[in-house]
Amino acid sequence: MSNLVLVGLNHRTAKLDIRQQAAFGSEQLMEGLKRLSTFPKILESMIVSTCNRVEILSCVEQHSEGIDTVESFLSECSSIPLPQLQPNLYRYSDEQAVRHLFRVASSLDSMILGEPQILGQIKSCFNAASDMHTVGTYLNNLLQAAFRTAKRVRTETNIGEYPVSVSSAAVELVRKIFGDLQKTSILIVGAGKMGEAAIRHLADTGAQSIYVANRSPEAARELALKFRGTAVPFDELRQWISRSDIVITSTGAAETLIGMPLVQQVMHDRKHNPLVFIDISVPRNVDPEIGTIENVFCYDIDDLGAVVEANLHERVKAASAAEKIVDHEVQAFYTKLKSMDVGPVVQQVQGHIEEICKTEMQRYVRKIGPQEAKQVQELEHMISRIAAKIAHPLVVQLRNAQESPSESAYADLIKRIFKMKDSE
Amino acid sequence: MSWILTITIALYSLGLLHSIIGFYRKRQIFVQLALGMVACGFVCHTLFLVLLGIERFHFPIGNLPESLCFFAWCISLTFMVANLRYRINVLGAFVLPLVSLLTIISQVIWEENHSIPPSLRSGWVYFHSSIAFLAYASFFLTFVSAILYLIQEKELKEKNFRFLYFRLPSLQVCAELLRRSLFVGFVGMSLTIVTGAFWAQQAWGRFWSWDPKETAALITWAIYLILVYYCLSSKWHGRRAAYISIVGFVSTLFTFCVNWGLHKNL
Repeated sequence: MSNLVLVGLNHRTAKLDIRQQAAFGSEQLMEGLKRLSTFPKILESMIVSTCNRVEILSCVEQHSEGIDTVESFLSECSSIPLPQLQPNLYRYSDEQAVRHLFRVASSLDSMILGEPQILGQIKSCFNAASDMHTVGTYLNNLLQAAFRTAKRVRTETNIGEYPVSVSSAAVELVRKIFGDLQKTSILIVGAGKMGEAAIRHLADTGAQSIYVANRSPEAARELALKFRGTAVPFDELRQWISRSDIVITSTGAAETLIGMPLVQQVMHDRKHNPLVFIDISVPRNVDPEIGTIENVFCYDIDDLGAVVEANLHERVKAASAAEKIVDHEVQAFYTKLKSMDVGPVVQQVQGHIEEICKTEMQRYVRKIGPQEAKQVQELEHMISRIAAKIAHPLVVQLRNAQESPSESAYADLIKRIFKMKDSE
Repeated sequence: MSWILTITIALYSLGLLHSIIGFYRKRQIFVQLALGMVACGFVCHTLFLVLLGIERFHFPIGNLPESLCFFAWCISLTFMVANLRYRINVLGAFVLPLVSLLTIISQVIWEENHSIPPSLRSGWVYFHSSIAFLAYASFFLTFVSAILYLIQEKELKEKNFRFLYFRLPSLQVCAELLRRSLFVGFVGMSLTIVTGAFWAQQAWGRFWSWDPKETAALITWAIYLILVYYCLSSKWHGRRAAYISIVGFVSTLFTFCVNWGLHKNL
């Protein structure tokens, strides 16, 4: 069985400047893989490099030696002196390393729990290593198991369901009121930079129409162009609010723009159809009191923050179910690995053939009477050579079967001929 | 033959269980399993009612257990239709308890004696009663969507981003389901009253006699008339419509239970 080591650093163990310095760009990645393949004690390896982590996963002959090699390799690549780099690193071997990889792939170790990009990043790092032929059977099997784990976590838990950015939380919140946003109209008040992400997110959901109002008509036109909307006059705010379903305010105004009397009038105009205000400006442009009017829903930046927090909380809950899946998959990986390991079978096959030959030789020696020691020795040599030659093709076949699953039928046959069990 | 009813109850109960697990754990797979079970239960239920009708040679609303069983079938039907139209994952957890309960009660109080008075052996009564049950079932759905609307609206207004906020459907979907089921129920209720009048003319010689059940039905109808008017007057009716739906459903329940006067044989 191979020895697995994982050495790396992530957002928890290393500061941003260290992470940046240690990161591998796509060209550096190829260089690094090439360099790794030159170390004789490293049998297989791959590099995972994202903006939040750099990890090197290797199959080595011996753990401590492998870890030392990889550490100095990392120090060399990042040009950070080893003593300075070492405190930022974590080192895992065998089962710990497998578990860590599975957790990373399932986004349980991410800065934003459950974010979906990490799996794709690992996949492309794995493909790069495959292209450079630095991964063999072991890492191949391991990574396939990691991808399977990540897929299970995504389909069997709700971890990815809850949006955790303020802008997507705003969309989610509005969806809880209007359901489908395609029939809604959005009014954007103010061309402030602040809420652009939120506005973009909402505008991208395919609202029926988008209006933009701003004190400066030029800025309104510019923003309208950006979101494929219509610029509307700022003085006719009341009229445009009553035509919209969602009002997003993000102005630099220090005073309240939208207050109780205005909204009461608007609600009358629009026959009390629901109206949602999302106020992302600080200080607030919308009087929070208007939330008490029937069918008016008013949220400010803190409320959006509360949604994000609630969503994160749900993700944490889902993560505990995900950890169970990871545990299960780690066990499954080792069970499979054990069944694929042909070492004990090889020994048994060799032992079995040698045993037969030895018994036959002893019988022969008994039959022909006492012999000279030299002659017996010669005979023994010959017999063991015969045994080795008979066993050789079988052992080769077994080793092949370990490398490629398509040949595992041979291994089964050999095991059956010699009446061996898998567990032996 | 009652074993078919037992299977139906088992399937509905399993469907209910899966709906609740799906609701609690917010897992789509349980909701889908629940829907499958309810669909199978509905097929068994239909088969049971058809066989019963053939065996007893009348529409299976001849006595109380039969009626409850048929009412459960109507709710189950509206539930299936609502699920085809809207994917409201939580609906099962709110509707199926009543379906299961009604079928179980009907099984428990099952009567083998099924003679029905000759005055009720008329084409009108079957039409009248079955339409009435369908209308009640639709109003039940209206009631459930009103409850869901009120809870979700409260969560959104009070900014409680917790358990129910994540699980309940959007206000728009609740309002839409409320509206649709209301219209179906209202048409059904109107037909019930009209056919009832014709049947009364045949059986008792008068179209309308201010019998308690007739009066209750008329009040219920009037409440829903207000609601229909209210819903037609604006696109979105909100909390007030939800309150009226609840009052309407209480009145519906009352109408359902009033069985004295001329209706005492039902």
